[in-house]
Amino acid sequence: MSSLSAGLDLGASDLDQITFRELIFAHFREKYGTMTSSTSTATPLKHAFEARVAEIKSPKSDINALILDYLTMEGYPKAAAKFSKEANLQPQQEDPSIRARQEIQNNIHTGNIEAAISALNELDPEILDKDPQLHFSLLRLQLVELIRQSNGGDISDVLSFATRKLAPRAAMNSDFLQDLEKTMALLIFPHDSLQPELAALLRSDLRRQTATKVNEAVLLRQTERREAAIRHLVKMRAWAESTARSKKKDLPDRIELGLNGEDNDDHDENELMITT
Amino acid sequence: MTRSQSPPLLSHIRGARNYQEQLAALRSLKDEIVGHDQYKEEWVGYGVIKVIVRILQTTRSATRPSSKESRGQAGQSRALSEDEVLRLQALQLLASFASGGPAFLSPLHGCGVIPVILSNISPLENPPQVILTALRALSNIADAASLAAPGSNDSTILADTLFAPRYLDSLYAILTSDSTATVVQEQKGLVARLISRLCKEAHHQNTLANGGILDALATILASFVVQRGEVVPEAAVVGQSDGLAEIIPSPAPRRANLALVLEAISVIIADSRFRACMLLCSPAIMAVFPSVELSPLGKEMKSASTALEMSGLSILGSKRTGAMDHLLPIVPTSQPKSLASHFAQFPPLGYSLSREQLFSNGKPSISRAFWDPARQESASSDGDADTDDPESPLIPWLIHLVRSTADAERAMAASVVASLFKAGFANPEREAALGMLVIPLLCQLLKEHDKEREASATDSPFVEPDTALGWAVLERTPTVIARLVADSEYLQQSAFDCGVVKLVCKLLKDSYEPLSARSAPRPWSPNPDSGGEQSEGVSSCRTGPPGVLPIYTHKIKMRESALKLMAAMITFKEEYRKAMVEQDIVPYIVESLYRSPRKPRSSKEKPKEGPGAEGNDADHVDHDSPYGTNPSTVIIAACHVIRILGRSVSNLRTRLEDHGVAMPVFRLLKHPDAEVQIAACGAVCNLILEYSPMREPLIKEGIVKVLCEHAHSLSPRLRLNSMWALKHVVIGAGNDLKKQCLDELEPGWLVQLICDDTEDDALHARMKLERQAPDADEDDEDMEIEPRETEAPEDLSGRTWLWPPMYRISSSSTGNWLPSVRRESPRMQRAEKKLIALRGAELNPTRKARVDDLAIQEQGLCFIGNLIVPPASAVGSSVSQEIQDMTEMVDYVFLNLGQDRLFEILASKLRVKVLHPFARRRYPSSAGDDSSSSSSRVLYPQTKVVEAVVRILSHLAASIPRHRQLVIAQTELLRLLGGHFNSKDMEVRRLLCHLMANLVCVDDSSDAQGRVQRAQELKKMGFLSKLETLEQMDAELDVRERAKDAAWQMKAGYS
Repeated sequence: MSSLSAGLDLGASDLDQITFRELIFAHFREKYGTMTSSTSTATPLKHAFEARVAEIKSPKSDINALILDYLTMEGYPKAAAKFSKEANLQPQQEDPSIRARQEIQNNIHTGNIEAAISALNELDPEILDKDPQLHFSLLRLQLVELIRQSNGGDISDVLSFATRKLAPRAAMNSDFLQDLEKTMALLIFPHDSLQPELAALLRSDLRRQTATKVNEAVLLRQTERREAAIRHLVKMRAWAESTARSKKKDLPDRIELGLNGEDNDDHDENELMITT
Repeated sequence: MTRSQSPPLLSHIRGARNYQEQLAALRSLKDEIVGHDQYKEEWVGYGVIKVIVRILQTTRSATRPSSKESRGQAGQSRALSEDEVLRLQALQLLASFASGGPAFLSPLHGCGVIPVILSNISPLENPPQVILTALRALSNIADAASLAAPGSNDSTILADTLFAPRYLDSLYAILTSDSTATVVQEQKGLVARLISRLCKEAHHQNTLANGGILDALATILASFVVQRGEVVPEAAVVGQSDGLAEIIPSPAPRRANLALVLEAISVIIADSRFRACMLLCSPAIMAVFPSVELSPLGKEMKSASTALEMSGLSILGSKRTGAMDHLLPIVPTSQPKSLASHFAQFPPLGYSLSREQLFSNGKPSISRAFWDPARQESASSDGDADTDDPESPLIPWLIHLVRSTADAERAMAASVVASLFKAGFANPEREAALGMLVIPLLCQLLKEHDKEREASATDSPFVEPDTALGWAVLERTPTVIARLVADSEYLQQSAFDCGVVKLVCKLLKDSYEPLSARSAPRPWSPNPDSGGEQSEGVSSCRTGPPGVLPIYTHKIKMRESALKLMAAMITFKEEYRKAMVEQDIVPYIVESLYRSPRKPRSSKEKPKEGPGAEGNDADHVDHDSPYGTNPSTVIIAACHVIRILGRSVSNLRTRLEDHGVAMPVFRLLKHPDAEVQIAACGAVCNLILEYSPMREPLIKEGIVKVLCEHAHSLSPRLRLNSMWALKHVVIGAGNDLKKQCLDELEPGWLVQLICDDTEDDALHARMKLERQAPDADEDDEDMEIEPRETEAPEDLSGRTWLWPPMYRISSSSTGNWLPSVRRESPRMQRAEKKLIALRGAELNPTRKARVDDLAIQEQGLCFIGNLIVPPASAVGSSVSQEIQDMTEMVDYVFLNLGQDRLFEILASKLRVKVLHPFARRRYPSSAGDDSSSSSSRVLYPQTKVVEAVVRILSHLAASIPRHRQLVIAQTELLRLLGGHFNSKDMEVRRLLCHLMANLVCVDDSSDAQGRVQRAQELKKMGFLSKLETLEQMDAELDVRERAKDAAWQMKAGYS
């Protein structure tokens, strides 16, 4: 199971994962039904909670919609198109807008911030016009990239960029100022022996964070949501579980999410073994 | 970086050789300016806006012939033509410039940007993307205009341009598009937002209602009903028979925004019965909400309702229940109360609907009509059409919506309910539902957002969307509550129980938290000298003043809305006034009377009165007050609060006096804005009462002169309020002051005020002029509202204001329904009749003129009455002195007004009067209006005026025998009075008894002879038998007692 899960990191194959789970649940339901009539000493007694879980039936169409939502929001235009065709669903967003988002993401991931800003402006110029925070993070990332490119050589481009585009904003906002100062410190210290705080700026994490922020901002403009519905569900589940536990509700010691390989333990594996 | 060398990019844009080059240049300009206000400013300096406008103009001239298919596939992305791409880029640039804030308004206006943008919003000619961007640009301009420095009129200009007929068609087409595409939904949202931001004046409200926009919005609202699955169950069945079923819209798509639609609707229908009725009668609303009598209540509902009935709390059981009532819990119904009676003794705070809404030049504000008793009268008098009509299920549905939504949607749904409730379209039992289900939720909404706000004080020009939402709720909810509670003691009680008084005082205090900065600080610039050289260049190349921060506008709006709620809460109960004053709120109200408020001071630091204070205020008009600048709307709202607080004697003597209310109000009497003068006159009414400590200082400052000047004003409302105030000035005044008042007012003018139907005559003259013009216009109702409609009443095109989807011939209507089927539907016909009647009532200038005249006449007569009454408080003076004073005054009045003329006027008030008897009769009156639309009318004596007349006469009769004799000599007058003994009004009957008693009373032994004569005279005229009838038959104890007394005196007189 864990190897299977590990392979399933892309959205398209989430489908298998979930239909797979569907099968498991269906199986349980069947089994549970027969068990009540027959002797049940062979299998360990089900927790009441799990019995209730087993009773819940999620319609397939809902699951499909959830998957399509995930593909669309995370920016997999082709997979989304194919899936919507297969599952006979109305596409959530027009293809071009998903693709534009993907392009922006790619540009940020590869460090081509200028292109990303330009593409973002082409998609919807109001996003940057009305969100100075986001604009500043993008510009700062661009500054980092410029510093990276200069690599100890000529820094006049870097300086003029910082003066023209970042400094006027930083003067008005103390958070911006701090970020800018930190970034400018990269010019002073050699890149191979930086403090961890500064070194973090040069790692790809910053790109990824900024890309996520941009994606969320675009999504919010386009769909008034920030993230795929499934992420929300997962968060809600975690919240519900912790709330229930803190209120001392009667719950099994461990509730499986059933999605991630790391979660699985022997017990889970056993169950799965039964089903297959 | 000097202005002379324009950057290469500009020449690229200007001189691009081909499409590709130009597009690239525009794109890089966009990357340059988006998000950088400094660069925007710099580029404006290069004159780039003009260049962009030119691009828009040239690409438009090459527009494709408008093809139907572009509309058909609206929303689907079709490849844009090259011109369209360029236009899109250009519009994006303009939108980006506009989002830079108010500073960019002047260059944008300087280049005539608005019409150029507006030429891109027609869905027939433009692809959806372009329309969307054009609307965004407009919306950004509107946002910027709302932040412009106080005193600018950018919003008004924009509204006047946008709400012109040619653009209304485009807006209508956008709103009625049936595409579900995201782009189109966003367009609809932007249109709704533009409407709710810009539509502030009655003529815009009427234009939008008549142009079909209201109907389009109502259809969208109906689509939400469908989406929520809350259509009345039998709607389809009922609709089958009359063709309305086809109009049930498809469910609202996911991106549609309910709050915006509700807000736009509530802005349009505010303060008008006619427009509220248009919403209810909109075909789509009628289709989803037929008034079906419904199935019995469910089991639980039934038991709940029986339980309430058993305990005597409900009368609901006997009422029919509609489907929508199943969505609401049953609430105990309060006893029906008559509310209008409370108002009679107070001057109207606002102005009656009929008076207000008619003339577009009257500058009405959204908030007026709900303070007004007169509108209730009008509601009952022209409500003939709707008494038998059941309530529309829209109203319970909206209450349900208030309960099931949150934040902006909740506030806006409540706002629409408030309009419908005020317009009298709700069942009286709804009052209980509003008090128990709606008001607590609104108060809770205020509490929630008030808490949140503390964390998010912001002085940045950018406002987080969540904060903006919270602000919007805080700005609007108090006004909504104010509208609900203003006329209803029950609802005030319910709001009071929710702690609204404390809340609203806190809101007002918060709005006086000083702001650190008024406008955004200028950003640091690498070229420090670039900002300075703004002097040269035309306005199209120069940015204007920076405007104010959003939080600043927010505070001012919150201040206005809080003041409105305060005034609405305290109209009836002294208890609430006391609770409010105890919050130490008066200093804040007083500061709201100033254009540039200072720090609100507690009463200990009492401000210096007199001329010193005035000078203090004069140098106080700096524009950088940390407390903001109060626009007229705030000042008017504050005057209303002062006026109502002044109804309480203890307030007059303590708090209002302590905080020096008098002088600021006095100064406002000379305010340049006529509306402020009117409101200030209203506030003065109570401040100058006999027992007010502010009376003396005000008179010393020369208030009599100012009021008398205002009594000569052209504005009927100002005449009314100033006469009202003068009437109060002379109560208890010495003869000198009384004489001064009469002299200042000019006796001739006073006669004219009480005698003539000034407004009516003016109107008549105007109509006559109009009729003499060639191509005489028969339909005078529309003269102020619309361009002339010369069609015969039966002509359909003459009714373009009615349900555009039905009558509209314009190409933009989708027109795939069968109008004939629907028009024959009895439901629609009934609705149409109702609308026509309401329109007649509301937009009829004759009615307005009549109401104005009567109110002023009444005040004028009361003024005369008060002139001749001796001051009651003259403790030290002897009775003879009192009589002497009075005699002197009566003679003075006779001398100045003319004794015979006065009696003749008084008699004329008691007679049935025919106005303009020789005017050409103009029947058949258009659109089935009542007789008041013809110019020759019969007027019956009005109760209030009769009361005033009888009061004057009984004052005269209380004077010396000579005056009594004079009254007796007016046989004609007395004969007319006889007819009023069976008046429906208790006060008139009571006063008549009083008059009789005065005429025959014994106070002077030397007059015994005269008394006998008078008594016999009166008996001869049949007054004794009339008194005896009253004594036996009258329903009121007070009248019976007085009749008994008078009859006894009379008998004693001649026997």
